[in-house]
Amino acid sequence: MRSLPYLSIFTIFLLTSCTPVKKSQLSACPKGSYTAPLWSSPFLKGYEKALFHTTMDVKGNYLSGITIIKKTSDSSFHFTFANEIGITYFDLEIMKDNYHSVYIFEPMNKPAFLKIFFHDLKLLLFSDSGCGIPDKYIQKMSEKEVFSYPGVNLFVWIDRESGKVSELVGWTNMFDAAHIEFERNQEAFPSLIKLSNSKIKLNLELSLLGR
Amino acid sequence: MNNPRAFLIGLAFVLPVLPAVTQTRPMSPADALQVSKRISEVSKSTLSIEAKFIQTKELSVIKEKIISRGIFFFKKEKLLRWEYTAPFPYLVIFNNDRIYVKDEDRENHINIQSNKVFREINNILIGAVKGTLLSDSKNFQCSITDLHDLYESVLVPKNTRIKETLSEIILYFNKSDYTVEKLVLREVSGDYTIIEFSDKKINQNFGDEKFAIP
Repeated sequence: MRSLPYLSIFTIFLLTSCTPVKKSQLSACPKGSYTAPLWSSPFLKGYEKALFHTTMDVKGNYLSGITIIKKTSDSSFHFTFANEIGITYFDLEIMKDNYHSVYIFEPMNKPAFLKIFFHDLKLLLFSDSGCGIPDKYIQKMSEKEVFSYPGVNLFVWIDRESGKVSELVGWTNMFDAAHIEFERNQEAFPSLIKLSNSKIKLNLELSLLGR
Repeated sequence: MNNPRAFLIGLAFVLPVLPAVTQTRPMSPADALQVSKRISEVSKSTLSIEAKFIQTKELSVIKEKIISRGIFFFKKEKLLRWEYTAPFPYLVIFNNDRIYVKDEDRENHINIQSNKVFREINNILIGAVKGTLLSDSKNFQCSITDLHDLYESVLVPKNTRIKETLSEIILYFNKSDYTVEKLVLREVSGDYTIIEFSDKKINQNFGDEKFAIP
């Protein structure tokens, strides 16, 4: 019984120190050898609203339709997903530290799912470089620049040419990590966004239709 | 009101126009029954419909519209094909108890029997297009109003499962041929979808292959 506190501390340490990004695939850059990049989610600066063709796979249940993501204030977005025939699956108001469900299609109205989904959407919509001082790595295979923000459990891949974010990995614990990829054509705003989270078996794809 | 005179002059112009805009005629139960019967007769003799459609999804909270377009095919008894051309190509086929969705290069098969929500939506769409929802007194409370150039039928769901998604379905029938001109699906969330049909071709001969599910 005496070892229980140590075991608990060790477990907490294990959960907080482990990351869903394999550090063996990254080589660390010495501190002071780089400047921290300035970056932000494509949904922050200059963004108003956009329409996306959407596919969503949750635990093998496939949904498709159209999503509109509208910035309603400096600190809130509306994320509305409806099927092609027009029936709303969900309409969520996403804020920096909370969400409000205007409507959720009953089969999806599960608090545990929504809690993680909110974190994933928060990562997508609100992430920026103002969240701390990062450690820099180079991904061994791709030679991509990766920045880690340990205080907020976040890894960011920055495209060297454009200076824009190409990938994000964020988590509240290492088991619910969300992985977001941004694909860009010539435009500054991504033409395709892929979001996955293995904890809730979620695969979400947003293909830009128009802004 | 800063300028009452201007207001009165404006009102003088607006008032004569108002009756034409809002012209409705309450129908007696006998008249409503007559219209309902006529719609039902036309429905029985309608073997197929081909029409263009414009679908407008109104998002009430954020005051935005999503507009889609395409071609629609219906063949008796339970075959529907929604061929969306904008804002992106998309195909939905309802073939009796099966739904097929083709979305760019991805295909999805849905069995209506195992998906209750899709089953209800399928039944509503087929019933709306055929006009048979009006006589579905088990699932809907129906009222008919004579509008200026259309009959408006408001259907309020009684069925609990439908009520979870839809608060009201409104069908607009053409007064000359009694076919559906417009369909409004009003959702519990306050959002609604309007589907307007045009270039309707009734009882044209097209084969079942349009509804074939690969």
